[in-house]
Amino acid sequence: MTNKEKYKQAFSGVHISDDFSLEVKTMTNKKQRFNQMIAGIVACILLVGGSSVAYATDLGGIQRTLQLWIDGDQTEVSIEFEADGSYAMEYVDSEGKTINQGGGGVAINADGSERPLTQEEIIDHLNDPDVRYEEDGSVWIDYFDQKIDITQKFDDDGICYAKLSNGQEVLYVTIKYQEGMAYSPKKYLSPSSFNE
Amino acid sequence: MRQPVEILIETYKNNLYVIAFNICKNIQDAEDVVQDTFIQYITFKKEFETEQHIRAWLIRVAINKAKNKNLTFFRRKIEPLENYMETLTFESSESFELFDTVIKLPEKYRVVIHLFYYEDYAIKDIASILKISESNVKVRLSRGRKLLKNTLKEVWEDDE
Repeated sequence: MTNKEKYKQAFSGVHISDDFSLEVKTMTNKKQRFNQMIAGIVACILLVGGSSVAYATDLGGIQRTLQLWIDGDQTEVSIEFEADGSYAMEYVDSEGKTINQGGGGVAINADGSERPLTQEEIIDHLNDPDVRYEEDGSVWIDYFDQKIDITQKFDDDGICYAKLSNGQEVLYVTIKYQEGMAYSPKKYLSPSSFNE
Repeated sequence: MRQPVEILIETYKNNLYVIAFNICKNIQDAEDVVQDTFIQYITFKKEFETEQHIRAWLIRVAINKAKNKNLTFFRRKIEPLENYMETLTFESSESFELFDTVIKLPEKYRVVIHLFYYEDYAIKDIASILKISESNVKVRLSRGRKLLKNTLKEVWEDDE
């Protein structure tokens, strides 16, 4: 008997459970829900957000009207900032629908304590690059007025590296397919350094 | 090209499970790895060149996910490997001895040995899957074989 035959015989008793395929279908649904909940983590600032998040509304915050780039379109947005670092915003999208979004975040100080994000920090991060996964399977980055198709830019491990510029600063973005992104103005961050 | 995931599951689930088990040494983690690998196939709309390309991609993803499991801080309470081995049926004492010796090899040798002897991959294919050089694969294979030979003696042929 050859070594290969001996090796295969030695491992022939190792088998996956018979009901495996059913578990995959269940897990797929869970995974997709989880992916929608992934929060952005940038440097030492934490932001959570997403559609229909009601965050500390009606606390008498400061309301401002701003122009933000949303899905590649410059959009007038009404935002109410609260003292606890949360915000609620409303805008009309390119299809005429009124969208309400909210979120919030904290900055972590050097001593490990937290403070609410300032208005300017929140606005900065609302202009962060955004990755969109479309129903047709295509993947896009929205950054200021740019809509970039990165569908074919992922390698075999599901990693895409993209260099973005808004004319003033350059960002090096690392995107894990369906598993979030990280970026830096200095270099591409390693895929193993986030969302592991 | 793409293949329906149901066909891929039937064709490769056990191979992915064995390689994941080989790395994690834990059946629950190995099963999670297989599930996560197929989930990645479903969600990652990549076009493949051939069926062999799909197979190699699945194996690479499973290996990476299994290694990540080992690095994860929040590891599940691990069932002792010996308990699992007691549930396995080996055709001979040599088979048990070989299994036991392989599973105790350092991970980097174990993975290369497995891809060569179980998956029948050539050295250049292993290099491509693991993203290391062919000479590195040869070194790992050679050192892994030596460790097996030292323990198994006449049970393991000299096939270098």
